[in-house]
Amino acid sequence: MDEGSILDIAHISFLDMIKVMIVMGGAPNAKGTLIRNAINTADRISPVAYGNFTEYLSAIDTATNPITRIEGRSTLIDGSVFGLKLCPFGPSIKNYTSLFEKLPEGYADFTAEFNKPSMVTDKFKVGEGAGVSPFCSVHQPMRSAFADKITIGGKKVKIYQLGCKSGGGKKGFADKWITESGVPRELVDKVLDDYMCCYFLKVQD
Amino acid sequence: MGRTIKQKKLKKVLIVDDEEDMIWTLQKNLTNDTLRAEIITASSGEKALEIIKNTPVDLIVTDIRMSGMSGIDLLIEVRNNYPNIGVIVMTAYPTTESKTKAIIKGSLYFLEKPFDINEMRDVVRHVLREDSLFKGTVAGVELTDIIQINSLSRSSTVLKVRAKNKEGIIFFREGSVVHAICGEFEGEEAFYEIMTFKGGVLEGTKAGGVPTVTIRRSVEALLIEGTRRLDEQRARHGDDQELEMDEAISPDDSEWKSDTTVMLSGVATKAERGSSAIRDDVSFFAGSHSGNDGSSHIQQIKDAEDSMEGLQKLLGEFTNIPGVNTACLVGRDGFLLDSKAIAGVDTEMIGAIASSGFGASEAMGRQLGKGPLAMTMLEYESGPVMLSPVGSEAFLVVVAERESNLGMIRLKIKRHSKEIQAAAAI
Repeated sequence: MDEGSILDIAHISFLDMIKVMIVMGGAPNAKGTLIRNAINTADRISPVAYGNFTEYLSAIDTATNPITRIEGRSTLIDGSVFGLKLCPFGPSIKNYTSLFEKLPEGYADFTAEFNKPSMVTDKFKVGEGAGVSPFCSVHQPMRSAFADKITIGGKKVKIYQLGCKSGGGKKGFADKWITESGVPRELVDKVLDDYMCCYFLKVQD
Repeated sequence: MGRTIKQKKLKKVLIVDDEEDMIWTLQKNLTNDTLRAEIITASSGEKALEIIKNTPVDLIVTDIRMSGMSGIDLLIEVRNNYPNIGVIVMTAYPTTESKTKAIIKGSLYFLEKPFDINEMRDVVRHVLREDSLFKGTVAGVELTDIIQINSLSRSSTVLKVRAKNKEGIIFFREGSVVHAICGEFEGEEAFYEIMTFKGGVLEGTKAGGVPTVTIRRSVEALLIEGTRRLDEQRARHGDDQELEMDEAISPDDSEWKSDTTVMLSGVATKAERGSSAIRDDVSFFAGSHSGNDGSSHIQQIKDAEDSMEGLQKLLGEFTNIPGVNTACLVGRDGFLLDSKAIAGVDTEMIGAIASSGFGASEAMGRQLGKGPLAMTMLEYESGPVMLSPVGSEAFLVVVAERESNLGMIRLKIKRHSKEIQAAAAI
């Protein structure tokens, strides 16, 4: 058998499980479950303290930064705006669509649900238009929750999800977080031309 | 003195009338194998009292107008001294007043002369049936429960409520409250007055007829308005906020909870199904009997209480109900928006778990084409958990103990849902 045609059953099962969760409990409940799971995952990691921003960036290069370990290496674009070249769920989606052509039903409802204002997306500054697939509801809160475990120069950091791009090329913008972070929308748009995910890291006072 | 017609181990029915023809007719028609009753007769109230002093009687059928002691006076004597004897009143001169008086004094049925003898036979048979009158002391029963049970079972019955120095009667026709009497009040005002009684004894009797129809609101609307008035009354009297309306039914203070004597008839079918069945019905009462004017009442309540303080106070409306230990407002994603709970309860966990149950209930309704979810209740060994949507983005979770008053929880959910939505800005 050609290695390229071997599927990762874990990926396929995970994507179908999301569909089952949507059907059995509704999109809001499925969204909440995935986000809670992401937060619980972050709770299990140890706090990490970096002396300064340079050390933080070095940890990305060496893939020792907790965020890097879950999503791969991101690129500092400008100031504190980062771009992520590859979606961590890309392989899962590719696996699934190679077998079934399109993603399971209900994903659009789920994505819309994630983008709706809510207490938890407010807390983690995610969603609000930045979601382009259900996987964003896992990835974005998890990254933000991981960031809560990080300090730079003794200060806490906060991540603002600014935008995201689907495998089909459709861009999603979180105007609320773009405005709050002060990052120009044009910059986010430009970052998303070349990257799948765009976020802002703020070192809190 | 009366004559014994038939003697065996049969139930005894005493017919009291000063018209010999009537006694003869009833004696003849009630003495048959299918009724299996021993018929005794008396030509006056006084003679009837003599008989029952020495002879155990199960049922008295008495005329009202008689020379000497009237049927109503006899009824009063029997009620005071022989409360286990049922009484059926009959008269050729029915008036609203006489009907009301007979029912207030404890008549099981009120029959107008001339009556169809088959109807009389049916009534007597019904009263004598062992399971037709369900008596006993029931802990945790409340007035609103009984009203809702009567409504759910579509009973045509009379509910008599006795409290300290007060007495009221609520008339049901096929489950609807159609008339009420309380002191000088009649109609809705009487109903609301009865709802203010702090404990007492409830007695249900099968009604032969309703004196008059003065109430046309749905039972649900009546209960909501009654609850609102009760709250207002308490506020005016400066009662302790923590007591709230549930003071009337709290185990510490009230006779409803701890020592309520309930005599029900016409709900035997429900009772036979078991208490959980009744509980289920009561808990889903509001959803199945929503009246046309219910929403306007909810709006009135909302308008009247717009000034209510925050979500905590609203959630306290639930935790103030005896047996309710947790009330949470949860986003549909399962994240807790606010909660009020006794110490040691993990409300975050409750929110996350309940969201699965709520989401699953909604999904099931969608798949079955049942439309939006109004409420769902999960009944566990130690008590129920009730889930109810609050707007489109959240739902309320009420965790209660087994002995809690589900009808009250239901009412409060319906009453406060919109306020909670407004307070939470969802």
